[in-house]
Amino acid sequence: MNAGGSSEETLVEVDGLFKRFVVRRRLTDAVRRPLERSYVDVLRGVSLQVRRGEFFGLLGPNGAGKTTLFKILSTVVLPDAGTVIVAGENVVSAPGRVRRVLTPVVADERSLYWRLTGSENLQLFAALYGLRSSDAIRRTAELLNVVDLAQAGDRMVATYSSGMKQRLLIARALLSRPAVLLLDEPTRSLDPVGARDFRRFLREDVVARQGCTVLLATHDADEALELCDRLAVLDRGQIVATGTAGELADQAGARRYRAVVATADRERARAALASHGWSSWPSAAAPEGAGDAWTAIEGEASGSPAESAEVVRRLVAAGVGVAEFARVAPSLAELVERLIERGRQPRHERGRVA
Amino acid sequence: MTRVFALTRAQWQTMRSYRIQLLMSIAGILAGVVPLFFVARALQPVMAGAIRAEGGSAFGFLAVGLASLMFVTSAVNSLPAVVSDQIRSGMFEAVLATPTSLLELLLGFNAFDLVLATVRATVLLGAAAALGATILPGRILPALLIVLLIVLAHLPIGVLGAAMILAFRTAGPLPRAVALMSGLLGGVYYPTSVIPSWLQAVSSVLPLSHGLRALRKVLLQGASLSAIAPDLLALVGTAAVLAVVGATAASFALRHARAQGTLTQY
Repeated sequence: MNAGGSSEETLVEVDGLFKRFVVRRRLTDAVRRPLERSYVDVLRGVSLQVRRGEFFGLLGPNGAGKTTLFKILSTVVLPDAGTVIVAGENVVSAPGRVRRVLTPVVADERSLYWRLTGSENLQLFAALYGLRSSDAIRRTAELLNVVDLAQAGDRMVATYSSGMKQRLLIARALLSRPAVLLLDEPTRSLDPVGARDFRRFLREDVVARQGCTVLLATHDADEALELCDRLAVLDRGQIVATGTAGELADQAGARRYRAVVATADRERARAALASHGWSSWPSAAAPEGAGDAWTAIEGEASGSPAESAEVVRRLVAAGVGVAEFARVAPSLAELVERLIERGRQPRHERGRVA
Repeated sequence: MTRVFALTRAQWQTMRSYRIQLLMSIAGILAGVVPLFFVARALQPVMAGAIRAEGGSAFGFLAVGLASLMFVTSAVNSLPAVVSDQIRSGMFEAVLATPTSLLELLLGFNAFDLVLATVRATVLLGAAAALGATILPGRILPALLIVLLIVLAHLPIGVLGAAMILAFRTAGPLPRAVALMSGLLGGVYYPTSVIPSWLQAVSSVLPLSHGLRALRKVLLQGASLSAIAPDLLALVGTAAVLAVVGATAASFALRHARAQGTLTQY
């Protein structure tokens, strides 16, 4: 995971974005109370900035608001409040100019003309992006090579596998050399090998070679960790955390430790930790070559290394034999889960040790 | 125009891939001309007096009427159908993500069907001429102008239907009603003069009534454009008024769908 973008210039700026949708009612309700409306708030004051050249991940569970945010960025949906600026252009007042620099990858395979060849599909969109005929032919050939479809370019799309169609959709989005590329769960319909190849293609070709700024919406934390420079965690229409994986860990207060203690002292150790408000639990991994005499416990010590030192001091003070003590990085999926849980807590309860 | 052409070409490439369907649609027109010839011959003694001002030949009268109806149904029905299909398939969202304007999009989605209607009408009129219908080749250019005006007067109805699809996911009754009324009261199968007087009021507001009368006079009788000026003016006026209504409705529907977040949903 990289530390940050290659440039500090902000390319996408979202500020105080709100969007609510009318909830569809049953016909009987609509007849009984025709003037009544109920709404769902999909985005509630979302703000974020993405720098030029950055691979930015948007993580969150289903219904978090990721797709709506992307649709607003791609000018398909109008926001109710807030501003969205892409490369200096406002998505509401200048949607046409935004569409010249930002391209969403519509990941729906059906959005290809299946009875046309891959090459014909790309040439159609090259014309829609305003490329001249000769440029369109050159760019099509170039991109078919990039997405490894050069041999299949003259075949009807109906004969393509899901992975091939996905790559063609990416090639289509790259036709106009967009400054910003939006990817909404791009590996959803790919098998594990196809997904791995696709991620490599995104990292090595789209970002490194083509110089695209990429916004990736996903609920796959591992995918986000592998690809993204920075991440934002979105839940119920609100950004609950933003930063690198390390920064997210700090924001979640999730610093885990693993201690190997004498098996006979295990309960005493847990009691000593609990009396000071630290959580702990038996570790799933047994200490190597230690037999039954030693056992591993895990726990969380939020905050600085000083707090970890305090954990060790308390264990020793309680007469617990400590053979090993190490801080362990939690997985990104755990971090995201924790950040979402924390975001859902009432404000006054946040920051308490779990 | 490049974008309109590109969308039209893509639809042609799609249709070309269904070769049998393409051949059958042309063969169907050719096969339909023969019974039309015999029906017209049977009706000739009954219709002769009523259609004297529009060529006098029942076969030519019906052939021109049916050819014009092809343009009308294409103009009012195809755009809502294509927009509906494109939204359902996700193609609409993909195209909207490009810098293509709404006008280019609507024209691009409709143009192919109009080209197809032109091919079908040409095949129909060609076959009718081969079977003896008196179609004046020297009047084809002014006839094309009238066909263009017929299309322009009906396209906004299709745009209104497409706007309804964008906003409410249904084209509403207007396009079908216009196609049906044009077929029944627009003078396609019989002259409008034989329609009961209270229905003639409805017939007189249908653009096809004016268009067909003008077209038959030009193509079957060799009338000059000045002789059909009142009908041309009616077509131009209708096209201008409906174009404003259609454009306003499309723009409103697009904004409504973007605000509701339903633009790409079906």
